[in-house]
Order: sequence, then C-alpha cells, then structure tokens
Amino acid sequence: MESRLRGMLDRGSRRFGTGLSFVVFGVGGTLLSITLFPVLRLISPNRAVAQRRINAAMRRVMGLFIWFMRSLGLLTYELHGLERLARPGQLIVANHPTLIDVVFLLWLIPEAGCVVKRALWRNPALRWPVIWAGYIPNSEGPELVQDCARLLESGRSLLVFPEGTRTVPGQPLLLKRGAAQVALASRADVLPVTIVCDPPFLTKGSHWYQVPARRPHFTITVGQPLPAQRYDSGALSHPLAARDLTAQLATHFTRGIDAVLNAAREPLVTNPPEVQSARL
Amino acid sequence: MHSEQEIYAQVRRVLAELFELPPEKIVPTANLYTDLDIDSLDAIDLILELKQITGRKVQPEQFRHVRTVGDVVAAVRELMQDETAA
Repeated sequence: MESRLRGMLDRGSRRFGTGLSFVVFGVGGTLLSITLFPVLRLISPNRAVAQRRINAAMRRVMGLFIWFMRSLGLLTYELHGLERLARPGQLIVANHPTLIDVVFLLWLIPEAGCVVKRALWRNPALRWPVIWAGYIPNSEGPELVQDCARLLESGRSLLVFPEGTRTVPGQPLLLKRGAAQVALASRADVLPVTIVCDPPFLTKGSHWYQVPARRPHFTITVGQPLPAQRYDSGALSHPLAARDLTAQLATHFTRGIDAVLNAAREPLVTNPPEVQSARL
Repeated sequence: MHSEQEIYAQVRRVLAELFELPPEKIVPTANLYTDLDIDSLDAIDLILELKQITGRKVQPEQFRHVRTVGDVVAAVRELMQDETAA
C-alpha cells in the first residue's frame, strides 16, 4: 500500500518535472537565442569562429538540460564508447526512440552538425542561431544530401537520424536511405549510435504527461565506425549500395536494442556459481 | 521504331536490375514510391539509366509527374517521339 502510494507520488512528480522541463527548454531556448547566441556571434571576428563558439555553447546547454532532467529524477542514463564520438568528420547515425535523443547527442558529440526542420528558418528567435551553428535545413532529397556531404567534407561530424522521425513504438525500425546516400556521397566513416529508453518515454505519438510507471533509463551505446570500404566496395551499383548500408544499419540498431533490453530483463545473478566455475 | 511493348520491356529490365526488384512486382500500375520502394534519390539513378535507353538527355523535370511504372513508359515514349520529330 505504502509502496503503491510512493509509486503514485513518484509518477506525479515526474509528470510535473517533465512539464517543467518542457517549459524550461522552450523559454530557455528562446532566451538564449536572443541573448547568448547573438552575443557570441557579435564578439566573434568571423563566421567560422562564431560557429565553433556557438556549437560549444550548444553542447553545454544540452548537457545542462540533461543534467536538469536527471536532477529532477526524470531519467537515468548510461553511456558506452563515448571516446569514439570525438573523431571529427564522421557521419553519426542513431536510432530515434524519444524526443530528447537529439539533446543527448548534441551534448555528447563535439562540434556536431545536424539536420533541422526547415520551419525553424522562419522562426524569428531560432532562425539565426541555427544559421550561425551551421545546421542544415531539411530540404528536398538531392540538395539535402549535397549539403550534408559538404558539411562532412569540411571536417565536422554530422548527426543524422536515418528513420527521419521518431520510432513508432512496438514497430520494427523503418530506416530511410538518405543517411546511406550521404555516406556514399561523402565516403565518411559511419558511426552508429544505439539509443534505448526503457521503459519508453517521450515516444512518437505520446504526450509529455504520459510518463511511465518506472523512471526511464537511457542506454546510449556508440558502436564501431564503418569505414567507406565496408559499405562501398564498388561491387554494388549506387542504389544497391544504399540499400545494403541501410539494411546493415537497421540490423545493427535492432540487435543493439534487443541486447540492451534482454540484459535488463535478465535476473540479477546472470551466472550461477557452477557455470562460472565450469568456465574457469 | 520503338513500340510501347519494347519500351515497357526495357523499363522493366532497368528497374529490375537497378533496384533488384522481383519482376512480378513491376507492373504498369505499380507506384514507384509506395509499391516499389524507390525514393527521390533513386529516381535520379533511374533517370540516368533511362538516358541510356533514350539516348538523349532526360531532364528531372520531365519526370516530376511520374508516379507509376506506366508513367515511366509514357514519359520515355514521349521523349523518343520528340527525338523522331527533331
């Protein structure tokens, strides 16, 4: 009875905290867009310096936001293989289970470029920060692929969610081939990042106030980079190479997600003593 | 002269080879985007390939209204008629 009450209180406070986070993110983001970011632009001698500074500031803001959500007890997380994110010029592809995946990854990747909704270019407050940060508007196919390849060739890393939108809960991952096309056009290393949020939180089609009964835990795992020789051996025509790489990524994400979820479902003692001694 | 049948056979061959599609799925009413999983970037590769058949420059705009396999055949035929007229 008492634990049930505590559970309800916990859930209620997380619901409140999530609402608060949304307000903080919206208001904070708008305020920073008319204060910190323009100041950083003004005190920078040129666009390139401004872009670096704004990217660095963006990272801190995203990190602060994750810290804020964790401090409110809204989520916990574990991060694996982060050192692999540091190398510049990689095409970083991630699955997209929740609304805040991009917040995590913009915090974790140094100087990341990303593709942003074109509508932001018409938003009076956010328009300039996304331009100064050097983000890419999600234009039509070929133009978008070219913009992405150019950003990678400039030596920055680019974050792309190949699903194009958040995963539909309970459905298999459905990857579009745009990310693979960017890889083929740039021949950049492809670095897959698998994100698992268990239990599901801030998923596609859910409302912010639908918080799960248990506190959600994020497991973010950076995989091994896939160099161009591995996805573009020259044996396949261009359309088939794009299909092949997309299928490889889908398999990587699906296996990675299953591995994390299965590990979480296993009993606490994974190896009974006799099995351990048998191995030794 | 290229008959409609010949053009259709060519288009089917190109689609099957370029995108590794099972031939039974390539019918005139099949929608390129929804039935055959061809995206806007694949369409560029398709247009490049069709250039080989028609032997003339194909502008992406000429394929803007193309939705089905039948539309591709019609567009190619139109291009080849232009060629004969010229």
